Amino acid sequence: MAQRLKEVDVVVIGVGMVGSIVAKELAAAGYKVVGLERGQPRFTVPDFQSPGVHDELRFDIRKALMQDNTREPVTFRNQGSQVALPVRRWESFLPGTGLGGSMVHWNGQTYRFQANDFQLATRTRERYGKDFLDPDVTIQDWGVTYDDLEPHYDRFEYLLGTSGKAGNIKGKIQPGGDPHESPRSRDYPTPPQKEHFQGALFRKAAASLGYHPFPQPSSNLSQPYTNPEGMKLNACVFCGFCERYACEHYAKSVPQTVILPVLLANPNFELRTGCQVQRINLDSTKKHATGVTYIDAVGREFEQPASLVITSTFAINNVRMLLLSGIGTPYDPATGQGVVGRNYAYQTMSTVASFFDDDIIINPFMASGASGTLINDFAGDNFDHGGLGFIGGAFIGAVNTNGRPIQYHPVPPGTPNWGKGWKQAVVKHYNHTVMFSLHGSSVSQRQNYCDLDPTYKDAWGQPVLRITFDFPPNDIKMAAYVTAKGVEIGKAMGAKQVAGSPRKGPYTVTQYQTTHNTGGTVMGDNPKTSVVNRYLQSWDVPNVFVIGASNYPQNASWNPTGTLGALTYWAIDALKNKYLKNPGRLVSA
Amino acid sequence: MEKVTRRSFVTTVGAATVVPASALLSSTAHAAAPAPAKKSSIEPAKTAYLFFDSEEALFIEAACDRLIPPDESGPGALGAGVPNYLDKQLGGAWGAGERLYRSGPWQSGTPSQGYQLPFSPAELFHTSLRAIRRDLGRGTPFHEMSAEAQDTYLKSLESGAHDLDGVPSGVFFDMLLKMTVEGFFSDPVYGGNRDMVAWRMIGFPGAYADYFEAIDRHGVKFEREPMSLAEDGHGQVHVRQDIPANL
Amino acid sequence: MNAHSRRVWILLAGAMLTVTATRTMAAGPAAAPAAQSTATPAPAAPAAAATPPCEACHGAHGEGMEAAHVPRIAGQTAEYLKKQLDDYASGARDNPIMSNFAKALSEQQRAKFAARYAAMTAPHVAAAQTAGAAQLVRGHQLAYQGDETRRVQACNACHGPDGIGVAHAAPYLAGQSAEYLASALKTFHEGTRKNDAGELMRSVAARLNDADIAAVSGYFASIRFDRSTH
Repeated sequence: MAQRLKEVDVVVIGVGMVGSIVAKELAAAGYKVVGLERGQPRFTVPDFQSPGVHDELRFDIRKALMQDNTREPVTFRNQGSQVALPVRRWESFLPGTGLGGSMVHWNGQTYRFQANDFQLATRTRERYGKDFLDPDVTIQDWGVTYDDLEPHYDRFEYLLGTSGKAGNIKGKIQPGGDPHESPRSRDYPTPPQKEHFQGALFRKAAASLGYHPFPQPSSNLSQPYTNPEGMKLNACVFCGFCERYACEHYAKSVPQTVILPVLLANPNFELRTGCQVQRINLDSTKKHATGVTYIDAVGREFEQPASLVITSTFAINNVRMLLLSGIGTPYDPATGQGVVGRNYAYQTMSTVASFFDDDIIINPFMASGASGTLINDFAGDNFDHGGLGFIGGAFIGAVNTNGRPIQYHPVPPGTPNWGKGWKQAVVKHYNHTVMFSLHGSSVSQRQNYCDLDPTYKDAWGQPVLRITFDFPPNDIKMAAYVTAKGVEIGKAMGAKQVAGSPRKGPYTVTQYQTTHNTGGTVMGDNPKTSVVNRYLQSWDVPNVFVIGASNYPQNASWNPTGTLGALTYWAIDALKNKYLKNPGRLVSA
Repeated sequence: MEKVTRRSFVTTVGAATVVPASALLSSTAHAAAPAPAKKSSIEPAKTAYLFFDSEEALFIEAACDRLIPPDESGPGALGAGVPNYLDKQLGGAWGAGERLYRSGPWQSGTPSQGYQLPFSPAELFHTSLRAIRRDLGRGTPFHEMSAEAQDTYLKSLESGAHDLDGVPSGVFFDMLLKMTVEGFFSDPVYGGNRDMVAWRMIGFPGAYADYFEAIDRHGVKFEREPMSLAEDGHGQVHVRQDIPANL
Repeated sequence: MNAHSRRVWILLAGAMLTVTATRTMAAGPAAAPAAQSTATPAPAAPAAAATPPCEACHGAHGEGMEAAHVPRIAGQTAEYLKKQLDDYASGARDNPIMSNFAKALSEQQRAKFAARYAAMTAPHVAAAQTAGAAQLVRGHQLAYQGDETRRVQACNACHGPDGIGVAHAAPYLAGQSAEYLASALKTFHEGTRKNDAGELMRSVAARLNDADIAAVSGYFASIRFDRSTH
């Protein structure tokens, strides 16, 4: 029997970066906020300290900071005709857990999407005609524009202290930055990180081909910084243990270093960890949330009443939360009806390996998670797709983040998988190889979606999320095209051998690609094709807001996190200045 | 509340292999040395197996020696203590199924869906090794075969030619190879990569990693002995295989 | 011909005899991409004085002079020592005595002296151990773990296990003069010492108070390394 607790103003489900920012803003505005985090509390000291944290086996291979898949897995299949089976070990994507969430172990790559991305459907039709896309592709406009989000991108970047070089300030192109970016109001809060040798080689080669290389925007800071919350960060030392690891130096922008202490100091906020939210509770009308039910670490069930519920868990978990709560109509791919789970997308990743002679010494282990150099010349709609048969593109860059040897030991194609030949190739190439990443967009298509699995349950007895996904043909074509461009850059670097590996289907969960799962609670102007309105408010239950990359109608050519931060501040603005002053539907259906 | 990190200075437990510091180098400012091809001056200590029985250990040692053989660049998996790593991992929480979703129902699935067998790694290894032993039967045991014959047999396992009492041999081989690479390149705290031979071989500096100034020296080889997360101020590595796979 | 000397550190605590060594290797100067790891500096140093001026304060074996806050420099990496001398010479680091000495030396001489002291071993000088038990505990905590309330990470993350130093990254602290360490931390705290790349030391020191500085300095000073050649 659930114990009913005293009502509060706001419940925030998931105390990662989004939850921390939302909770901080609402608590500071005077509201009583409870933050429910499934995982454990953790802090830079002692939990993130090195040398212990520089343990590749533990954090990279064993996935120490990730969601406990033994209790809360997902199931997966490529096609609806297959039976979805549990992802028994995380590989392809690595949802986080714990206080601070996935942005504790992220790489710090902090991008904005471009103006075109937010009206992708409209602009694609305008530029290429309405018959250009495969009929299965279901890309949509977001319901917000880049200009709506610009001030909120700025705010997020200044919260983090992101290190970079602007390419376009108020319409004026800045040398050394990305000329393709949409206009920003001012430069980044700190200058770019130092460029490593790989980045320098890439930059010269890309420039020689007429492209526009620029430094990767990094939330592993280039210098000490004090953010508007008064939090101080240090300079990153390029230790090469970034993604999947926590930073010991207070140099990576994570909730613990940018905002959590401020949040935790506010008596309006109460943090409860070890609390697994089971569902958002609805009243008999099913149009109003009364709060949430959760089970704590001791196994006790609680009902936490609240006037406002915000679900800010990891993207796919947001989708699951709505499905378990009965909020919104679940998507059915057979009929095309319903919205929750629709437009699930991912990231289309390819690589190019450039092998040099041993006089070129790369030192791959010296890097941060975002200290690379890249080009956007083949990203998004920055090039003419006429006649190419696909939309979207990839950033291409020397953005390798590490030389951790269990996973990083590049060898040329044709090298045996083991034995003397393998060992010799590893020794020969470890310190003389430059890896490019081609970070490609992901269109949504009607066959790719999320729903609740009919068979498998989590440790609390609830259905797990089922993901049905394969790469749309559009994205495979895109990957082949951009990889060929990447190979040209590799050759222009003067490498002895260049090997491109364009992404090919079928999508497999057995190989890491990214943790950029998007969609499922899509935002938009039309309740028939979106789950939340432009303010991230549920169309069905107005006192529920959903904030996450689950809002994205499709995924663009860049890491989702920067845009997620912008959406967070955008939604907070709507909450503080519109919703909480006058609760109700912010957009008429 | 103060919490001494579990990663702080801890001493060896049990029959773990302790590696004293071998020759470590310092130099004057005039040193213009290429990376020292340092050979371990320590004979690998005998591994006290907890998981593998003596016959299984013979197979594992011989297999490791073929998967990553010794050569002019340095010791291979056997000399690096990878059998010890495998033994302690399989005999511990990882072998028992840490981080593995183990509930049914079970179906074999498509290659995209990955591992779907009910076996824990420990069960998978014991089952496979038992079947291999039976398969080789009255013939030459694996560890007595010539290197060429061993490679041929390993390739046949790799190709999936054998059913090892329900374990497709390719699944066993992939797990064995994956864990061998782990044992070779992981921090010596886990009982492999003895004396950091694998890191030294490729020039990976290890767990102490401040490169703020070195990163500016483009194209200059980084000269420093590798350092383990588990070494103390005297260069002694305190092996501890039982670090949990979660924070 | 490049000589590498093997060094052994003998710990005299209790009855334990442990073999340790520092791991230091000078990197080359910042250079255009080149195959070799280091460039060999010009060998022909001018005939120097029989007794270098360093000895008067830093001791015949580079053991330092506790009473005058003169640091131990024996066995510090040549790269680190050279950088400090270069910084004294350029004004990037300021000390009335060291600045004058460094400016009087050519760059080659600075390299030579750095190399000389990097190659030295010196017995641990048993300075008065002023750190009390509580300070040693606090110092150990800061060294191994850091302090969340101060937002400082563990010293050892950069300075190595037991503060023995990490080549190309951070000098050794173990066995260093407590007074010198405290004065270094204070000047970083105040910002009057500025020659730390990335402000890495200033960032940390700014968050330590006097008690923290005394504790961590006393702790590292208490680590007894006696050094002699093998």
